[in-house]
Parts: sequence; structure tokens; C-alpha cells
Amino acid sequence: MTVALDRITKSFGAVTALHELSLEVERGEFLVLLGPSGCGKTTALRMVAGLETVTSGRILIDGKDVTEVQPKNRDIAMVFQSYALYPHMTVAQNIAYPLVIRKEPRTEIDRQVKEVAAQVQLDQLLDRYPKQLSGGQRQRVALARAIVRRPAAFLMDEPLSNLDAKLRGHMRAELKHMQHQLDITTIYVTHDQIEAMTLAHRVAVLSKGVLQQIGTPQEIYEMPANMFVAGFVGSPPMNFLNGDLAEGRFVTGGTSLPVHHAGSRKDVVLGFRAEDCSVTAAETAGAVAGTIYSTELIGDHVLVTCEAAGHTVVVKAEKTFTREIGEPVGIRISPDHIHLFAGPDGERIR
Amino acid sequence: MNARKSWFEPRKLGEMAPAARIGIYAVLGFWALVVLFPLYWLFITSFKLPIDVAYPPKYLPFLDFAPSLSAWRYIFVDLGNDTLRPYFNSVIVALSSTVLSVGIGSMAAYALSRIEYKPRLGSILCFILILAGVVVAVLAGHVDWRLATLVGIALFILVLRTVARRFRRHVGNPDILFWIISQRILPPVVAALPIYVMFQHLNLLDTHLALIVTYMTINLPISVWLMYDFLVGVPTDLEESAQLDGASRFRIFFGIVLPLAKPGLIATFLLVLILAWNEYLLALFLSTAKAQTMPILIAAQNGTRGPQWWYMSALITIMIAPVVALTVALQKYIAQGLLLGAVKG
Amino acid sequence: MGRPLSEWIDRQADRLFILPAVVAILAFSIFPLLVSAYLAVSRFQLTAGGYQIRYIGWLNFKKILTGSEQFHFLGTFAPIPWFAWILPLLALLFVGRGLRLYLTTGRVTVLGAIGRAISAALIVALATLIAATCGPHGGLGTVSVTLMYVVIGVSFQFLLGLGLAMLCAQRIRGRGFFRVVFMIPLMVTPVGVAYTFRMMADMTQGPLSPLWRLLGLGDLTWASQGWSARLVVMVGDAWQWIPFIFIVLLAAIEGQSREQVEAASLDGAGFWRIFRDITWPEIAPVAATVVLIRVIEAFKIIDLPNILTNGGPGIATESLTLHSFIYWRTLDLGGSAAVAYSLLFISTVFSVSFFNFVVQPVRSARK
Repeated sequence: MTVALDRITKSFGAVTALHELSLEVERGEFLVLLGPSGCGKTTALRMVAGLETVTSGRILIDGKDVTEVQPKNRDIAMVFQSYALYPHMTVAQNIAYPLVIRKEPRTEIDRQVKEVAAQVQLDQLLDRYPKQLSGGQRQRVALARAIVRRPAAFLMDEPLSNLDAKLRGHMRAELKHMQHQLDITTIYVTHDQIEAMTLAHRVAVLSKGVLQQIGTPQEIYEMPANMFVAGFVGSPPMNFLNGDLAEGRFVTGGTSLPVHHAGSRKDVVLGFRAEDCSVTAAETAGAVAGTIYSTELIGDHVLVTCEAAGHTVVVKAEKTFTREIGEPVGIRISPDHIHLFAGPDGERIR
Repeated sequence: MNARKSWFEPRKLGEMAPAARIGIYAVLGFWALVVLFPLYWLFITSFKLPIDVAYPPKYLPFLDFAPSLSAWRYIFVDLGNDTLRPYFNSVIVALSSTVLSVGIGSMAAYALSRIEYKPRLGSILCFILILAGVVVAVLAGHVDWRLATLVGIALFILVLRTVARRFRRHVGNPDILFWIISQRILPPVVAALPIYVMFQHLNLLDTHLALIVTYMTINLPISVWLMYDFLVGVPTDLEESAQLDGASRFRIFFGIVLPLAKPGLIATFLLVLILAWNEYLLALFLSTAKAQTMPILIAAQNGTRGPQWWYMSALITIMIAPVVALTVALQKYIAQGLLLGAVKG
Repeated sequence: MGRPLSEWIDRQADRLFILPAVVAILAFSIFPLLVSAYLAVSRFQLTAGGYQIRYIGWLNFKKILTGSEQFHFLGTFAPIPWFAWILPLLALLFVGRGLRLYLTTGRVTVLGAIGRAISAALIVALATLIAATCGPHGGLGTVSVTLMYVVIGVSFQFLLGLGLAMLCAQRIRGRGFFRVVFMIPLMVTPVGVAYTFRMMADMTQGPLSPLWRLLGLGDLTWASQGWSARLVVMVGDAWQWIPFIFIVLLAAIEGQSREQVEAASLDGAGFWRIFRDITWPEIAPVAATVVLIRVIEAFKIIDLPNILTNGGPGIATESLTLHSFIYWRTLDLGGSAAVAYSLLFISTVFSVSFFNFVVQPVRSARK
């Protein structure tokens, strides 16, 4: 089942939540809508489900315009952030509910419930009530209830955000495996870029209701289309230096670095990731001068935060890094892994 | 092709079917009419002359009949003080008793929500027994009530220090709360007589004080109940920090808790005010002339020739006008008050 | 000099906070309760110097239960009409189910079982009483009339209030307007409501009289017929109290989890399905509580029967409170206290039973 958004705009009175959003999800694809809170990703999801009206534009499922179709007729299942389990029904009854509404025969319902419960490893908990379950178990019930309908598409609204960090990692793997097995088109909303990177076939990054970039996780990471995407995806966030381009060199606060870009241009931002630079001795030629602000041992590496040329720069160093706070250092940036952005609007140059 | 949908299906997403929308508005509109029409009728009747009240009924002022101020003139000028005094009494009694009730009630609610009480069951039983003894002595034995009360108190303190210590069984906060709230089940008529007799002995019949104190008490269960539900939801961090700083309970209560509890206080105040304003039975027992309140005045309009609708309508209008205005202005708080009791309780 | 005093006050603060409320209730609730108890078993007589109270044991109660006032309190007995058998039957079913539920919870105590048995017996007895006095040659006593006001009145108010709340919770414009308007009857003094409805119900001169004449009912005097008089009283009571139920239920319906309703509608559930499976279980505890509050208040009804019909015709609309008040007016303090205590007894047992048999099970089903 393919899902397409055609120039979707959503306004709440004077506030525009989504601005002419267009994208297409292919059959069996896992698409993640990624962005900070308030960017419109949940609104877009709810419009696909039919829980919000569309101010202008069309929603198409399998090529058919479903913009005015009732949610229950769209053959879409949704996993809500709060799971929306029915507290007075058992796990089995919760999962069975979509089928009960369709008035399927009792034996058929029981069979399907058991089958799906086994798939998400809930078969031992079928007689429990939601309040007796842990967060991860409740989430699996919500998933099971969505799966049992064999819908044409899944919608998920930040399903992992209510779980603790360790469980979240585990459930990420489960979700990915399950989606692959069931091969159902999935649209997934999150603000956690790690979830986006690990789960998605493609990621659509949104900010303030506007689509910033859509592409595979690799494309988003390696070739961010603008400063927002560059800064949002990746942990720690990308480092930025303000300066100018002058004949193939980037000039900032006293130093200049060679870049693979001819020409000159004022007001340019140089971006580079923490793993694409290294800390060297102070006064090294071709390196930006700075001082160490703090160091954090992560385990397998050390994050060194430095102040350089009026900017804050984070560098990934090997775990044996032993320099102290306040020491002057040089930061060498690899010219093959830099990104250039135009100053005012942040768009990628090249 | 978009075939024409029936009236029973929603035309657009997020909307209701046209038939449903019409139906709902019709029912709600009808009920709004049911609510407002009697009040409207009441209001215009106060502008009618006696002949206008005869059949056929007249619905629209200026069109069906000529409105006149004769009823209003009558109650304000001719009766003058006889109208104003009960009104004044109602205002004083309702306001004072509500302030006291909500004040004492929130103090008790605060205490019950923050402090743990453990009165001994034995003490309570002894108290009730001694109280019963005092009652019998006064009523049957014709012992002077002041003497009986003093003896009773002395006896209680004595027993408390000796016998009652033997019983270990405690009752806790939930029991005390339940006891206070369950007083609401008590039909006022059961207590009306003895309260009447009590005030008669104290020569306080037909006074503001009698009504104020009585109203304060009968509305205590509601005050305590609503404020308790509200205060339970107020986090205790601020109070604990003040305690660490050395503030006394009184200071914490009046300086920190009450300001925080303003929405709950307003809601409770409004509800209790309305209850006190509308109270009828106890006022009937306890007031005759000087402290007569509006409900009694209105009820007394049952003249020998039957009620005179135009005067009554005027009286009732001035009685319900302030309350209705209050409701419309502060409906948010009133609704909150009603909910405090039912939704959380 | 002030310091030790203020410190002592502070140490006593815990007690001082709760003392005023406790003292007030003791003085104006418990104390009168005891006095009333004594009055109920004595006879009050005015004498030359003042008054005299003489202990007479159960005579007051005998008079209203089996004696000369039995017709007033319990009613006039007549053979039970065929359709009235349903009342004791329903009562039996209801208490039977309640008792069975209780006995299977596993937390049965002697005191609890005895209490529930008593209330069960009383409910069945009351239902039978109504059945036994409602026949064509019988007459309902104040007990039955009060029970009618409570059971029929509150049920009707609940259904209407629920219906209005459900409608108002839909996506309509002007919800705020309706909410404010619907709240108003609650604020009108019951005495005012009584007079207003007397005006409204006037068949010959009231605002609805053209309608009555059209329907051929113009000559009907509702005040002279027992059942029509009761109906008018209940209509007035409903007008006043439906708003309370409406507001509380509306808030409960609006407060339910939006995502649960959305999930169900995504799964294909229609309006009634959602109400039955999701909304109703969610609001059931609130509904039970609000009905309990209403029941407790309904037992005390006095203003409407007094002003609207003066208890008439005869005693057809007289509530227990009114009954007690009438005795008081005739200086039969003993009788007044006896009736008042009976009301207290019935009201308490009924309310506690309702709480145990309805509110508790509903609440624990949610937990």
C-alpha cells in the first residue's frame, strides 16, 4: 500500500502547522518523520489517519484520494504515544477489539489473537489487565492490536518515548525485525534521531511545518541539505564555524583552512562532525587554535569540548586522551569531510 | 465520482452527519427553552397587572400587555422594609455563614490532608455516652443544662485520663473524614427541633447569629469534602520547605496553602453560598420576624386568596437575580466545585 | 511573654485546626441527634409553666407504624395489583445480585454481612410496601412517596442528564453557551422553583394553557389527583437537579482519554459502540457517585411538596420531611422526631446500600 501526501497544508486559525508538505511512501517502506517538537510531524501523521482535517492538499492511499474518507474506512492502524489501551479490558480483549467490531466469528478471533500475541511474545499475558503490565508490555499490546487487523499501513506516534533508555534500545530492534517480517508500509514519527537512523528506510526531516530533506539515513547524515538537518542529525551535533570563503580557503577568526571549493563568498558556515576532526598540539600549522573547555569519558571514546575562534567545538578523541581543561590545543579538520552552508539561509553550497 | 451522500452520513471529515447535527441542536435548543422559559415567564409576570394574569396568557410585553411597575412599586415602596429586611438578612446570613464554613472547613480539610490523627475509639465512645447522659438528665431529669454540661465535661476528662486509656484501638483520618462528610446524609429536620429548643433556651431565636452558626455547620461537610479533594492535589513541597525554614503551621496555612488553593476556595465558596442563600427549612424553624430570610418571605406569600403572582414574581426575581448573575459570571468555578466532589470523590 | 504562648499555640496547632469543625458538628449534628432520639421516645406536652417531656417508649413509633397514623406514614393497604408485583421482584433480584457479589469477593466480615443483610431486607420490605399500597383502593404513605421521589425521580434525572451530556460533548458550536444556560436551574431557590412551576402548571391561566385546551385537558386540575400532583412535583425537581448531573457527566465524558476514542474509531467502531465499550466504563464511577449524591439529597425533599401542593391532595405528595414538619406545627414533637428518625434510618440504609451495592463494585471494576 502506498501513501502519498500532496501539498498538505494545515492551519489552526492563524497558526500554520504544516506548509505544503509533499512526500510519498512506497509499499513496504519504513518512513520516519523526524523533527523537534512542534515541527508538525504528529499533525501530518494524524492527517494520514484521518484524525485531523486537512486545510488544503490531498492524502492518497494507493492512488485513491482519501482526504475526506472516515478514519475507519482507510484501513490504517495506529499505535499512539500513550498506547491508548482500554483499561477495563484484558490484553486478549484489547487485541481482539478491532475484530470484534467487524463481527468476526468467535473462533476466528481467538485464533488470530493467539497468533499475533505469540508474534509479540505476549501469549503468557493474555488474561492480564493493562494496569498490571510494564511499559514495554503495554507497548507490545498496542502493537499487537494494530497488527491483528492486517492493515494496509501502520502509523506510529513516538511509541518508544515512554520507555526507559535500555528498553528503548531493545524495542527498536524488535520493531525493525517485525516490520521487516510483516512487510507493511509504516510511517513513524519521532524526535529521537537515533531511532530515525536505526529504523528507517528513509527519513523525512521537518522543521516548523516545512520539509527540510528526505532521503536514506545515510544521505541525511553524509549530505545534509541545510544547517538544520546537519545540526539535528548526529550525536554529538555537528560543529559549526562562521566565516568567509576566500579563493578556496575558509577564513575564520585568524586562521584559514583549505577547502575543496573554488571561489570566494562572504558569510559562510563550515560544518564538520566530531569524528572528522582531531586534537593536536597547539600552534600546529593548518589547525584551528583553541582551548579545552571540558572532557567527558564516554567509554570507548572521549568527547573534548573546546573553545576555538569564538565558537564551541566538540571533538571525538581516543579513550586515552589525557589533556586537561584550559590547555591550549589545535583542532585539525579533515578537508574531505567538511560541509559548507550559505550564511543567511543555511542551504548547502555545492 | 462523489455520489450524493445521504443525510445520515458525514459530508466531510471531522463533521457530523447533517441529520445528527440538526437533531442535536434541536434537542439542546429545546432543553435550553425548557430552562429559560419558566424564568422568562417569572420575569414578565412581575410586570403584569392582576388582569393580565387571567386567561388567555400573555407572552410578550408591549405586544400582549402593557408592562407596569405596580408590583415592583408595591414590594419596594409599600412594603418597603418588609421586603428589604429579609433581603438584607439573607445577604448577611449567607455571606457570613459561608465565610465561616469555608474557613473552618478548609482548616479541617488541610489538617486531615497533612496531619495524621489517631483518636482512640474508647475516648469517642465514652464521649458519646456522657453526652447522652447529659441529654437525658436535662430533658427527663429537668437538671439545669448548664450544670449538666459542666458535670459532663468534668466526667469526660476524668474518664479520659483513666478508663479510656485501656482501649488501644484507633481510628484514623479516613474515618474522621467519612464521619464529617456523612453528616450530609442527616436530614435537617432531625436536627431542626433540638436546635430550635437549644436556641430558645439561649434566647437566640430569630437572630442572625443563630442562623449563621447553624448554616455554617450544615454546610461544613461540603466545605470539608470539596477542600479536602482539592488540597490533596496540591503538592507539599512548598510547605515542607517552609517547615524546614521554621514556619509555624498557622503561617504555612494562611501564607502558603490558602493562596495556592484559591481556585478551590472560590469554587467551594460559591457553592456553599448558593446553598446558604437558598436554604428554607431551618430558616423556617429558627426565624420568625426579625431574622426572616427571603425564602421564608416568598413562601409566606400564600395569601388567603391564593398567591398573588405578580408580587411573588417580583420577589422571586430579586432573589434569584444575583445568584443567576453570579452563576453566569463565575460558571467556571461553580462547575469546578461540582466536579471536585463527584469526579475525584 | 508572648513567646511561650505562641509556642504553645503552635504545638497545639494540629488540634486547633480540626477542633472548630469537630466542635461545630458535635454541637449541631450529634447533640441534636441524641436529643431527637430522646424526643422520639417521649411525649411533649405544654403545661401551665412551660412544657413537659415524658418518656413513653415506643408509642410514637407504634402510632405511625401500626396505629392511628399508619395511613399517613405507611399508607393504606390494598390488594397488590398484578403489575405491582414487579417491584418486590426487582428488589429481590437487585439485592440478591448484590449479596452474591459481596459474598464472592472473599473479604466478608460478620459485621459487613449482617449490615448488608439488614439493608437487603429493608429494600425488599420497602418495595413490597409500595406495591401493597399503590392499588386502586389503597393510598401511598409518606414513606412510599418519598421513595418514589428518590427512585423514579433520580433515575429519570440521571437518564436525561446523561443524554444531554452526551449530546453536548459532541463537536458542536455553542457548547459553552449551553453549559452556562443549563447550569442556571441549580441556582434558583427551591421555593422559587415551586412557585414558578405552580404558575407554569396552571391549567387555566398558565403559559401552557392554550396547549392544554387544545389537547382537551383544560379542565384537568392536576392538584386534585394524586398521581398528577406527584408528577408535577417530580417535574419541578427534575428541572432543578438535572443540571447537576449534566455538568458532572459532561466533564467526565470530556475528560476521557481522547486517544482511546480515536483508537477505537480507527478500528472501525461507530458512535454507540464507542459509548458502550469505552465511554460508559470510563464514566461509570463518576456516574455512580453523582447518583449517590443526588439520592442523599433527594430524601430530604421538602420545598417543592410544601409550596407546590402543600402535601396534597390529602397526603399524596407529602414527603417524610414534610410529614415531620406537619407534626411539629401541631406541637407533636414526639411524633415529629419519630418520623424524622425513620427518615434518617431509611435514608442512611438506602444510601449505604447504594454505595455498597453499586458504587463500590463499579469503582473496583475500574481499578
